[in-house]
Amino acid sequence: MSSISVESVTKRFAGHTAVSNLSLQVPSGGIYGLLGPNGAGKSTTIRLIMGILQPDEGRIALFGASGSGRNLSSRIGYLPEERGLYKKMKVLDHLVFLGEVKGISRTEARRRALVWLERLEIANWAQKKVEDLSKGMQQKVQFAGALLHEPELVILDEPFSGLDPINAQVMKDIVVEIAAAGRTVLLSTHVMEQAERMCDRVAIIARGKLVANGTVAQVKADFGGRHVALGFSGNRPLADAVLADPRLIARMDDYGASAELKMAEGAQPEQLLAALVNAGVGLRRFEVVEPSLHAIFVAKVNSDPDAAPLPVATGAAA
Amino acid sequence: MNKTFAVIRREYVERVRTRAFLISTLLLPVFMVAMAVLPALLMRGGDHTSRVAVVDASGAGLGQPVMTALGTATFGDSAQVRPRYELTLFTTDTEHLDQVRSGLIAKAGFARDTQPDGWNGVLVLDADTLASGKLHYYGDDVSSPNGMGRLQREISKALAGVRLAHAGVDQALVAKAMAPADVDTAKVTDGKLTGQSGKASFVLAYAMGFILYIAILSYGSRTLTSVIEEKNSRIMEVLTSSLTPFQMLMGKVLGVGLAGLTQMAIWVGTALVLGSQGPHLAGAFGIGAAAGNFAIPSMPPSLLAVFLLYFTLGFLIYGSLYAAIGAMCNTIQEAQQYAVFVTMSIVVGFMSMFGLINNPSGMLGTTMSFIPFFAPFTMPVRWSMTAVPPTQLALSLGLMVLGLLACVWLAGRIYRTGILMYGKKPSWGELWRWIRA
Repeated sequence: MSSISVESVTKRFAGHTAVSNLSLQVPSGGIYGLLGPNGAGKSTTIRLIMGILQPDEGRIALFGASGSGRNLSSRIGYLPEERGLYKKMKVLDHLVFLGEVKGISRTEARRRALVWLERLEIANWAQKKVEDLSKGMQQKVQFAGALLHEPELVILDEPFSGLDPINAQVMKDIVVEIAAAGRTVLLSTHVMEQAERMCDRVAIIARGKLVANGTVAQVKADFGGRHVALGFSGNRPLADAVLADPRLIARMDDYGASAELKMAEGAQPEQLLAALVNAGVGLRRFEVVEPSLHAIFVAKVNSDPDAAPLPVATGAAA
Repeated sequence: MNKTFAVIRREYVERVRTRAFLISTLLLPVFMVAMAVLPALLMRGGDHTSRVAVVDASGAGLGQPVMTALGTATFGDSAQVRPRYELTLFTTDTEHLDQVRSGLIAKAGFARDTQPDGWNGVLVLDADTLASGKLHYYGDDVSSPNGMGRLQREISKALAGVRLAHAGVDQALVAKAMAPADVDTAKVTDGKLTGQSGKASFVLAYAMGFILYIAILSYGSRTLTSVIEEKNSRIMEVLTSSLTPFQMLMGKVLGVGLAGLTQMAIWVGTALVLGSQGPHLAGAFGIGAAAGNFAIPSMPPSLLAVFLLYFTLGFLIYGSLYAAIGAMCNTIQEAQQYAVFVTMSIVVGFMSMFGLINNPSGMLGTTMSFIPFFAPFTMPVRWSMTAVPPTQLALSLGLMVLGLLACVWLAGRIYRTGILMYGKKPSWGELWRWIRA
């Protein structure tokens, strides 16, 4: 049974189409990644699923029943992209309130809130006002608030943005734990490395349209081709001529000191290695790899026929 | 239902806990006490015995009756009666009048503690006084309208007595004829005496209207700011995924309203205590009975019920309208352009009370009792002042409930769409689409 079923949904806003004929099936259990560049329609899709927005066309079903996210809200935990808390409330009171509006009793909400604050290592802040907390701590509080009622479906919109690596790690562990307990997590992100490591299934959307969909392995297999990861140790400019040869290379993500390549049809990795060595390029790494989600993402998003190419600058300039 | 209750509690507790709430709750009673006590304290300065020199140059023996009339004037309560004037008569003739008058005026107008034998005032009765009623007073207190009015009344009485006596009317008869009228008003409802005085009804009606006016303007409009704050803090998206717009709207309006009621209950309670303990407190402050006049008229239970009913309905109507405006806008400044319409309607309702006080059952009063926006002001006033037919009350209440449902429905529709709208404020056309959607 699908936890979430989105069927041919279209949502238009004044002037543009945010989501266009989108269909998704999020199965029960596991972590489902909703990937896409900024402005792809991830948050709109999530708001449609939550019933905050109504689709112009198509239908959305949760847990196999056609009720809006609001009616089923006691079974869903939601962390919106726009973080917001009552600034003047005390942390513990706020968590209790968030539990209460999800329908759990005051005493139970209080008990669970204390457990969460302990777990997230902010128990000392329970009686402090929200506005006294750092951004990262506020995000942890809101994260706890979304999970307080132990929902069977957890929807997280960009859960790791704005967190330092330590806190991101704590949150990641919790997300993985939820999935391990058989519950369903839908998370949106544009950080591909994270999605690749965590998600069982992904959907890549660009400009409101689905461009790839399935388990991570499926998406990689569908993308096809042979991929090579390179690390340069010296004489980088000498590699340019080799890498520009369309008979060898179909596509390249260039990071300067490293690069990820898709081999051209019929070309062998050994030919590339020989060409690079002959050119005198210093190599630190040469590895035949699976395509990374990032490479797939960039390729898919750029190859969208009716779209202007994304500025490759996101990766190349780094 | 539990969710709405959670919202109400949050709104209430978070509001009542703030320092601003505590300060405003404490400051107003302090202000009220100051308002009650200060005039009394100031008045005490005005109530003292004046030393007045009466110069009689009338040649008609006018001096003595004036002395008698002024001599009977007193002030203070029964426990401590003190004469208002300390009088000395100087009889002279027209020739020496200027001289006597100048001599007396030279000793007038000084503070009494520096010049113990000085005069507060010099009253001159000349030859024309009896015929024309013209006389002259020179004193340090001529700018006090109260004091001068009193003086004029006393002297008029004396002059009238003397004129009547000259016309040959018996003195005893004159005294009888001059006894002042004393009107005691009482309110009649359905042919029965209610025991309330007309003045008490007026005070009650005015006080109730004022309480409603203040409550809506200060607390109702707070729902507007509160919704805008929630939009700006982006908490709205979490709420909207858990609560229906109706739950959010009702929770907010009721929570804010209850916080307001708490504050008002504290104030009204303080006022009642001050009212019933007025004389004691006044004694403690050493200001005599002047502050004891600050009495709270008793409120009949039926009036209280009508008032509370209309208060609740009116507050909910205006509170939800304010919340809807908050949902439409992103900044307080923007919201004020729309809020003006609501505020105007409140002011019109409040102002209409003054028209009603003269003619509670007139065309204006009856019509306004049937308009839900104005009825909360007009109906309690009419109920307190006249007998309102039960059919009118029922019709008015029915229309209020319908009006409330319409407002909440409308506000809920606007709320549903508006709370997630950031950016430019909607045009009237867009607003209409939100409501129909």
